[in-house]
Amino acid sequence: MNKTTLMTMLGSVLAIVLLVIVLHPFLWILLSSFKSEQALIKFPPTFFADSYSFAQFATVWERIPLLDFLKNTVIFSVGVMVVSVFFDSLAGYAFARIKFKGRKLLYTFVLILMMIPFQVMMIPLFVQIYKMGMLDTYWGLILPRAASPFGIYLMRSFFVSLPKDLEESGRVDGLNEFRIYWNIMLPLCKSAMVTLGIFLLMNNWNDLIYPLMLTSSTEMRTLSAGLAMFVGGRTIEYGATLAAATISLVPLVAVYAMAQRYFVQGIATSGLK
Amino acid sequence: MKSSSKVSSFLNKPERAAYLFIAPAILVLLIFMFIPLVSTIAVSTLRMDVFMQSATFIGLDHFIRMMGDGKFWNAFGNTAYFTAFEVPLQIAVSLLAAVYVSRNTRLRKFVRSALFLPFVCSLTAIGIMWSFLLDPQIGLYTEYLTRLGLPRLAFLRDPQLAMPAVILMTVWRNFGYTMVILVAAVQTIPASYYEAAQLDGAGKFRQFANVTIPSIVPALGFSVITATIMALQVFDQIFVTTQGGPLGKTETLVTYIYKSGFQTAPYDLGYASAISVMTLIFIMIVSLTMNRYFQSKESTDAR
Repeated sequence: MNKTTLMTMLGSVLAIVLLVIVLHPFLWILLSSFKSEQALIKFPPTFFADSYSFAQFATVWERIPLLDFLKNTVIFSVGVMVVSVFFDSLAGYAFARIKFKGRKLLYTFVLILMMIPFQVMMIPLFVQIYKMGMLDTYWGLILPRAASPFGIYLMRSFFVSLPKDLEESGRVDGLNEFRIYWNIMLPLCKSAMVTLGIFLLMNNWNDLIYPLMLTSSTEMRTLSAGLAMFVGGRTIEYGATLAAATISLVPLVAVYAMAQRYFVQGIATSGLK
Repeated sequence: MKSSSKVSSFLNKPERAAYLFIAPAILVLLIFMFIPLVSTIAVSTLRMDVFMQSATFIGLDHFIRMMGDGKFWNAFGNTAYFTAFEVPLQIAVSLLAAVYVSRNTRLRKFVRSALFLPFVCSLTAIGIMWSFLLDPQIGLYTEYLTRLGLPRLAFLRDPQLAMPAVILMTVWRNFGYTMVILVAAVQTIPASYYEAAQLDGAGKFRQFANVTIPSIVPALGFSVITATIMALQVFDQIFVTTQGGPLGKTETLVTYIYKSGFQTAPYDLGYASAISVMTLIFIMIVSLTMNRYFQSKESTDAR
């Protein structure tokens, strides 16, 4: 056997090992959500159980306001996604295609904010949202995320790559600037917008410290924050906790299965520059 | 009718339209990012609690207190420990994986999507999952390891093992993210580079070391810096699994900020802000130093 095939085999073995390490826990949690409480605390633990049922999901329904969590998560993350993609694409378009005074300065401002970690500004943000009376409300969750420096950066780089003089045909037809953006430019950027939308959806759906801080009542918690509080309480049954975690995973994993390309694109482009 | 024609005539001037276009985004960034950023520094000089009844100016007192606060230094040390092991491991695993999955065969594309899966999932759910799998009694993986001959380990409840367990859990979740960035970079390397190396008689390993690595230095640098910034802010997985314990061994800067500001009396927002300012300073120093290093690497490689 020559050296090259040996390397290829080694690569395949490595890939299989990684694949098992990554997928095994997911199979386990999926299976375990259908196990009984006794099967879960049985010693020694086993991967399979003797019987499976939906009982844990029923318990979750009783113990955790999961439907509220789910609703809040959807309103928060989809709300942010829609508003931010719109605002980011508007700003990205202006930065990319229109010459105006202060453009360079304002864009530098955006780039600097892109590098500042959220944790640094979270306390004054909390104070600010409190003073505006928006603590524990949907507006308080959505508004601070209504524009994203990364989103502006991403949209700008897509608009910059479009051919020159696209706008001119619109101007000749007598369209105003907003119409040019909306009717001519935006349709060309569909995939960039989906990429950004998915990126924002994923980050906000999964975020913990942000919704944890800006909500205080159980009814306003998102899936991440609500689950974290319940685990912190340590009063809940094992099976119900696992079932709840599974429920929180399923929607995003389903979207990922259908639109993988878009999940990966936003991240891949952030590294290429 | 009249006002709408006014609006459209206003929008006919591209420069004026541009200001309208950027206004919503810039306003949001100004109000909810820039002002909070500046006020962090202001709040860090105040004595203020979460109920915000009174705020008194106390200058640099919080920073002086921090220097003598053992819990702060413990959190600082743990954050450094986490970063020093998590980042290199994450980069190494993702680099190995990226080299394998960067070729576009059907199988490799599938492996690529599967390895990215954990990054799609919330750290909350993943933290819950791993604290079950690593439980001393009912944990499936604890059981597997004892069958391999190891003693029954307590992982997240053992002061020595808790941090390593959190580190491995984080690598498991995040390596797919770095892998995607590196794959994108590897795929831009022209095939002719490898052909030339092959003609020179370089084997796979030499090609990896002399062609792949130098070509992806910018992406590698970006990955190291973003992974480091993420690591210095570690919070979610610790909040869900160990809450900073056992014995404060997994307390990090951000969990300490959250605890002192929001979780334990006297809900000291001023002190928590002061720790935030220190954290920002650390992150800036580390990322700027790394950026410098990778920039110099890039320019020497480009010669």
